[in-house]
Amino acid sequence: MSNEIDKTFFKQLKSFAQALDWCEANHQPLSALAMAYEMHRRGVDEAAILAQTQTLIDQMRATVRAGSADASPTLSGLTGQLASKMMAAASAPCRLMSPTMLKMMAYALATLEENSRMHRIVACPTAGASGVVPGVLLALSESPDVALSDAQMQRGLLTAGLVGELVSRRMFLSGAAGGCQAEVGVATGMAAAAIVEVLGGTPRQVMDATAMAFKNLMGLVCDPVAGLVEVPCTKRNAVGVVHASAAATMALAGIESFVPLDEVVDAMVKVGQMMSPKLKESAEGGLAMTPTGQAFTQQLKAKGNVHSPESE
Amino acid sequence: MDGGSLFDILGPVMIGPSSSHTAGAVRLSMLAKNVAGQPIKAVVFKLYNSFAKTYQGHGTDRGLVAGLLGLNVDDDRVPEAFERARQQGLVFSFEPQPNQPSYPPNTVLFDMTLEDGEQLQVLGHSLGGGKVYISRINEYKVSLQGEYPTLVMFYHDEPGMIWQTTRIIAEAGINIASLVCARKHKGEEAFMAICLDHLLDPESVQAIAQIGNVYAVRNVDKIV
Repeated sequence: MSNEIDKTFFKQLKSFAQALDWCEANHQPLSALAMAYEMHRRGVDEAAILAQTQTLIDQMRATVRAGSADASPTLSGLTGQLASKMMAAASAPCRLMSPTMLKMMAYALATLEENSRMHRIVACPTAGASGVVPGVLLALSESPDVALSDAQMQRGLLTAGLVGELVSRRMFLSGAAGGCQAEVGVATGMAAAAIVEVLGGTPRQVMDATAMAFKNLMGLVCDPVAGLVEVPCTKRNAVGVVHASAAATMALAGIESFVPLDEVVDAMVKVGQMMSPKLKESAEGGLAMTPTGQAFTQQLKAKGNVHSPESE
Repeated sequence: MDGGSLFDILGPVMIGPSSSHTAGAVRLSMLAKNVAGQPIKAVVFKLYNSFAKTYQGHGTDRGLVAGLLGLNVDDDRVPEAFERARQQGLVFSFEPQPNQPSYPPNTVLFDMTLEDGEQLQVLGHSLGGGKVYISRINEYKVSLQGEYPTLVMFYHDEPGMIWQTTRIIAEAGINIASLVCARKHKGEEAFMAICLDHLLDPESVQAIAQIGNVYAVRNVDKIV
């Protein structure tokens, strides 16, 4: 395609169907479209984009390393030991899941616990959903069977980014705007897309995996206990990697989504609009309003400020 | 909605725990600080909707103060923002407000007292993933996202205002990326926002402020 045609195409790129058409017409993976889109959007070259992607991978790895080695409580004291427990489980034989899957979960937990310590993380697409994409990619990079290189991880990340970008045209990616389906839900679809891309699936299979991941988390509410990005967010990220892996595995097995991805996203947007504000990051519904959630909230209020009891 | 960069989705690298409530808060404050354009002596953060409900748990409070101190979203010192503000003499407080359904979910009104005594009100919103925008400066409606250095001016609607303004910008050798004008009614109060490739120098801003019928000019730098 000529540069001019490309420009028009990227300006008009809105749907997953258009993205798939481009990939199939050009015999390219979704990561190639993501790269071309970003080059046109920002007017920078491929090397600059790859370098930026690598910076994110390096930070994701640093966050996971710090989080898996740290069992100190988070600022609220609600979590802090989940990643270390899961790391221990990952080093022992497991009768249910593969070591890679256990590591994915451990890394997702590690990222969220670092987040709750107010340490440095990579939002992907948000901080509350920052564990899913790094969890799957970093565990796959360490898996002896897959052993993803950093270059492959870059491709996976770009694919995930394009999926998130196309969704964000239609809905704001925040729990306050769309519930948790807009955070962990979207992250899970991004991760499913990344897995299929790096394991050599077709662009169509990437779309199917993403659709199946979104469908399963549609309607997920944002109901943080005491308003903290912690319960249930931390564990939702760990379950998110399993959702992503399941959706990717089905797509790679040739299972298709009955409802096309664009329609699934439209449905998610509508569900988000129908959702009560009490279930959108206001801590007024769901788990936040359970007796246990409320008791913890009261305890926290009695202490004054969660982050620093002596201030204010 | 327009297509953004993939790195709006992948990233930012940030201090937790929330991209909309922590990183978004930092970025909003960075932008509000740029609107102020001079040191801020005191600020009351009036919090709306989700911000009002969960600002402590999400570190929104620390993020808002951190941004006014010039700390960025990935700065290790964000968690200690309160202590740093006290050292630097910035007076701050938080006032959660009743629900305001006409505002987006994450909204804050910065009620600021600047070094020269000016009172400045800025209404800002966090959209998720660290994306933010400012919709009001004092009584004037605006739309500022901090993507470009932006000259914002309020003036009496009359012929030649755009020409007089852009002539000064051209003489400063700065390219205009986009220009938006709006007015309440013909011959009444009007608003212009000029996105620039570089921040305008103070002398040019002064020259624009001295054009007849200009009520107020703000030279707002972009946030990175």
